[in-house]
Amino acid sequence: MTRSPVQADAELMEHADGERDDAELAERLNRDPAARTKIAALHEVGELVRGHLELASDDVPDAKFAAMWRRIDGQLDAPRGAWPRVVAWFDRYRSHVITGAVSAGAVAALALVLRPAAPDTGLAGRAGGAIDVRPAALRASPEIDALDTPGGTGTVINLDDEDGHTAVIWVSPADTVENL
Amino acid sequence: MSEARRSSFATLGLAALGLAVLVSGARPARADITAECEVFEMSAKVGDKPSIDPELQRVEKKLKKPPFSTWNQFTLLSHSQKALAKKKVEPINLKIGSATATLVEIVDKSKVRLTVTMEDGKGKQMVSNTTTVEAGDHVIFVHSLANNEGHLLSLTCK
Repeated sequence: MTRSPVQADAELMEHADGERDDAELAERLNRDPAARTKIAALHEVGELVRGHLELASDDVPDAKFAAMWRRIDGQLDAPRGAWPRVVAWFDRYRSHVITGAVSAGAVAALALVLRPAAPDTGLAGRAGGAIDVRPAALRASPEIDALDTPGGTGTVINLDDEDGHTAVIWVSPADTVENL
Repeated sequence: MSEARRSSFATLGLAALGLAVLVSGARPARADITAECEVFEMSAKVGDKPSIDPELQRVEKKLKKPPFSTWNQFTLLSHSQKALAKKKVEPINLKIGSATATLVEIVDKSKVRLTVTMEDGKGKQMVSNTTTVEAGDHVIFVHSLANNEGHLLSLTCK
């Protein structure tokens, strides 16, 4: 029986793949060096492809493999209860969650940077309620801007000590001024 | 992309947007300018034994010096803390009479300009005063009473 070259090559490929092993083909290989060369070439190409795939699998990060195995394990043993389901969900969509968190952080940072400046209060660098308390030695003496003591007399005394200044406003009713 | 993944992306996108809105909206509304003030109301008199209420520890050193050394017994009548908003008259409850305090403005970031009014027990105004004082310093109002007694009001703001 005569075979076409394509048919013969197909049989050789099946032999190389271990799918065909008959006596006739073995005999043909013994007497046909070209067929043996083709078989050797097929084995070599197969090795190259295997080697390439192994190298590619080595490039996949261990963490990704671990996640894949966890997912497989999880599918084999489906989580029960709400918390394991939540954990499984986060595990499954970890990259999405991280992407979302990073995006949120970036947007939040942008919002913080681009937000409009606070209105000018005329008090640079101060938040409401925060007044700079200077060291006692650096404080200026109190200044009396206005003093009204209806029906009496006002006396202003400025006391200084290591704690700072004290403005004493002494009000004496008119009828007791003489007692001062 | 599967439906589940698409919905999770949409959820995360919404979460990011929500967070951004929260962050931009969470900026505290500009607080009004305020000063935190502490008020001590005291009575002073002369007695056999000197005594100063322990609560008056913060002004004790001053009370032992002239002109307060006129007296030797100081009693705390009331103590209050007030957050004064700018140009808002704040009533101060006293045991004797009444008082108000107003933060006129903050000067040079470290001083407060305060207006204080005091009325005696009969509702008669004794004093109306505006003083600019450094944060942490004191203003003490003294009202001389009959029988050589005194009614004191001490304010300090920061």
